[in-house]
Amino acid sequence: MDEDQGTGQELDTQSASAIMQEASARAVRALVVRRPVLFAVWGVAWLAADGAIWLSVRGQRPYSGPTPAALMELIAIVAAAAIVTVILVGRAASGIGGLSALHRRILLMSYLAGFAGVLILEAALDHAGASPGVIGVYGAAAPTLLAGVVIAASSALRQEWSVLGLGLWLLAVGAGAGFAGPAAVWGVTALAGGTSLLLIAGIGLRLRRS
Amino acid sequence: MTDGALDPVIHAPARLRIVVTLATLPAGDTLTFTRLQDLIGLTPGNLITHLRKLEDAGYVATSKSGAGVSAVTAIWLTPDGRTALDSYTVTLRGLLDSVSPDQRT
Repeated sequence: MDEDQGTGQELDTQSASAIMQEASARAVRALVVRRPVLFAVWGVAWLAADGAIWLSVRGQRPYSGPTPAALMELIAIVAAAAIVTVILVGRAASGIGGLSALHRRILLMSYLAGFAGVLILEAALDHAGASPGVIGVYGAAAPTLLAGVVIAASSALRQEWSVLGLGLWLLAVGAGAGFAGPAAVWGVTALAGGTSLLLIAGIGLRLRRS
Repeated sequence: MTDGALDPVIHAPARLRIVVTLATLPAGDTLTFTRLQDLIGLTPGNLITHLRKLEDAGYVATSKSGAGVSAVTAIWLTPDGRTALDSYTVTLRGLLDSVSPDQRT
């Protein structure tokens, strides 16, 4: 494009309208994080990760905990979802500063600090002599509770009410799923957590298309 | 009312693209010069020229941090710029609506 472009002398209203639509669509594609895709990625990851643990512990009498293979599977799935998240968010957020960047850093630190706390407390429970059953309930419910709190708080700040509903739902699942017992709790969190994220992803995609 | 009623600072292809692109970001966000350049497809010189016109009108603001090769220029739409784009959009819609369908071919 040359220097003369932009004098405005040749621009008619229909061309202006077309430029606005094209520029807006391009900016949204490039700059807006595709959150429904992120929700879908984490929904599938949650279903697969907690589902793998549930498959390895179901039917245990007494409960002895997940197999190392299932734990490795969980770690690999979470790591893969985290990598996809970093790529998607990093691509869209490149070059963007200000409040959104600050919010993203706060959200990331909340998750990292929260999950570190969850793991440390689990080690402390184990150290204090908690049974495998208690560790099992805690291991499935605590991350769900944490995700619910962080999602509810961040969505409330952005006034995103459907996502706030998701956060409160996860909070309720995290609080109540333990009553299913140390083995079934993994199936409950896999289904209730994973499908709710997929539902929000579906709603988000439908809203974006309409 | 004719095209002349449209804000002449915004009513230019390159500046319209710049303002619309910056308006995609929520208030309080900034975009680096290089990312904006990638999205708009202008040469650095052209982009600087158009940004200067928008800045003179109070529609965009810029801030530079760092020095030398690590210098980063952040650009954002001011509240006046957002208001101007809203007014421009309303005026443009009015003009388009006033044109009969057979004239729009």
